[in-house]
Amino acid sequence: MPDALPAQPATPAASGHFVEDRRQAALAVYEAAETPTWRRSGFWTTSLRKLDLDSLEPRRYDAVDSAIVNDHLGDEEHSALIVQRGASVVHTDVSDDRIIVMPLEQAVVEHPDLVEPYFARRLPHDEGKFPAGNAAFWTGGVFVHVPKDVQLDKPIQAVWLIDEPGTVQWAHTLVVVGEHARCKVREYFLAPDFEGQALHSGAFELYAAPGAQVDLAHYQDWGAGDVHDLSVRRVEIGRDARVKWVPIHLGGRLTKQTLDIVTAEPGSDMRHTGLYFTEGDEHLDLFTTDRHEAGHTTGDTVWKGALTGDSRASYEGLIHILPGAAETDTYLQTHQILLSPKAKGDAIPSLIVEVDNVKASHGGTVGELDQDQIFYMMTRGLPRSEAVRVLVEGYFEEVVQRLEDPGLERLVRRRIAEKLKRAEDQVREFIGERAEVL
Amino acid sequence: MTLEVQNLHVRIAEREILHGVNLKVRKGETHALMGPNGSGKSTLANTLMGNPNYEVTEGRILLNGEDLTEADPDERARAGLFMAFQYPATIPGVSVANFLRMAVNARREEAIKVKEFGQILGKNMELLNIDRAFTSRYLNEGFSGGEKKRAEILQLAMLAPDFAVLDETDSGLDIDALRIVSGGVNALRDENRGFLIITHYTRILGYVRPDFVHIMLDGRIVREGGPELADELEDKGYEFVREGVAAGA
Repeated sequence: MPDALPAQPATPAASGHFVEDRRQAALAVYEAAETPTWRRSGFWTTSLRKLDLDSLEPRRYDAVDSAIVNDHLGDEEHSALIVQRGASVVHTDVSDDRIIVMPLEQAVVEHPDLVEPYFARRLPHDEGKFPAGNAAFWTGGVFVHVPKDVQLDKPIQAVWLIDEPGTVQWAHTLVVVGEHARCKVREYFLAPDFEGQALHSGAFELYAAPGAQVDLAHYQDWGAGDVHDLSVRRVEIGRDARVKWVPIHLGGRLTKQTLDIVTAEPGSDMRHTGLYFTEGDEHLDLFTTDRHEAGHTTGDTVWKGALTGDSRASYEGLIHILPGAAETDTYLQTHQILLSPKAKGDAIPSLIVEVDNVKASHGGTVGELDQDQIFYMMTRGLPRSEAVRVLVEGYFEEVVQRLEDPGLERLVRRRIAEKLKRAEDQVREFIGERAEVL
Repeated sequence: MTLEVQNLHVRIAEREILHGVNLKVRKGETHALMGPNGSGKSTLANTLMGNPNYEVTEGRILLNGEDLTEADPDERARAGLFMAFQYPATIPGVSVANFLRMAVNARREEAIKVKEFGQILGKNMELLNIDRAFTSRYLNEGFSGGEKKRAEILQLAMLAPDFAVLDETDSGLDIDALRIVSGGVNALRDENRGFLIITHYTRILGYVRPDFVHIMLDGRIVREGGPELADELEDKGYEFVREGVAAGA
């Protein structure tokens, strides 16, 4: 695959340039590394054996058919919108001149002073084959800079679009939010339903400077095609800054993601609320870490999932409190509902505490819908399938409301309702069977 | 219109709880079903509504002549039957107002107009002395015992069923809440609606005067009479009934 990439000419020795040197070093790691298989908890395995990596290539475009973008983003006003299709940024629209939103490639050239201090600071190029591939091959990219004290009401939207099989998208987003700035950042990962394979290998990093307030959302819906998503996303929160992060997973044949949120300095606060809904033969493997590096930091993590069809979903959420992080106060909860007899999942909370004097708690549940709740709703006249829909939507509502974004909330509710509709017969049968064996 | 139970035998997890219960409630009538804990009162209520945990092995449940013994709970509800739960389920993420609208719409061809719904809701909330903010809370989530019971009666008022079963609605209520709930029930009594009030104690019957009283012991109705039977029970207690049954047997 590397030889299919026209983007960056190889330089024989270290060029002294922060991006080129990283590409060089990463390429060596990528080429030396085997395609990984991830194993967890003894029985959970995420394997890429069905991914034909050599058949995929990055593809460049110069325009975008905006139908799928409009369908998801609606006509909501934004501070900026940037769209990358395949390997190319094809649309950039910035309506607020206080901020910078542009392709990362362009920012490296035009704003090296803003990019270099942050670029890849939390994204080592040698933590695996795909992070290395991403570091070596990324093209286009998204750079967001919200300067000190700037307060934005309208969101900054970035769209990653894959609309052809046979393609690979190496994605890199860098977001820098200055001191006491306030903004909303949304990334959308979209694909139409197509036949064939594609790969999105993403890297995301966000740095919230002291006092910043960031509402961050990732909305992933790769559709019904055979799209693989192998991504690492990291958020670093500075002194007295606050980041609310809502990752949403609503589609993708195989997803393997590492999502880390770091309270790096005293007084920083994280709210981390995720949602996933898998169907068909989808496979989702998420590992999140709430990493508390400094004392007097706070965390609040809730993840909820639902599974239908033959899908597989595994969520592991770790709270890691480092030696310097006394007086941390944090908790994590994870819940998962199985809506089909063939779906398999797990939801594992875990905790590593390396210092005394912290408050940390965690809990997890995996189960089926509560028959008492279904009975109760049916006694009010709701048919079983309607009762199930309302219960599942209600279950996710806690997460959806944390988006605090009416447009995105509507989109998520709509997609959940569609998925439940598709699974209606299967769910009714499953829930009905359970009611009878009781 | 009648709600009729004929020779109902019910078991749960292989154990028979009801051993042939007969009961007939006509429209406009209020019946009290009384009995000590474990006598089978709640089993009858749950069976009337079609709780899948309870298995009918013999007998029938008829609503206006229609056999509902095998019907799903939602069919029973749409046929005009309602139960106020002793322990209503919590429905996270679904507000009281949203839930009520869904329930109202479930028995209508066409969805109710927002304005009309708002008016009926407002009127019924006033009846039950319920605060506006209450309807935006998630159904039963974090509700006190009294709030849960009021939410049940609010649903009863909104759904206006032909027959309502109140399963221990008075339990756990303080005197003020009991007055409010009873006042709501009395306001909903009319010639077209029948009530079956299930209770352990006689105190709710001081507020909602029944036309008929049935006493259940060990899965059978053992005595029936007018409201004076409740007074007798108040004076003499269930042991008296039990002894009477034993003596008569």
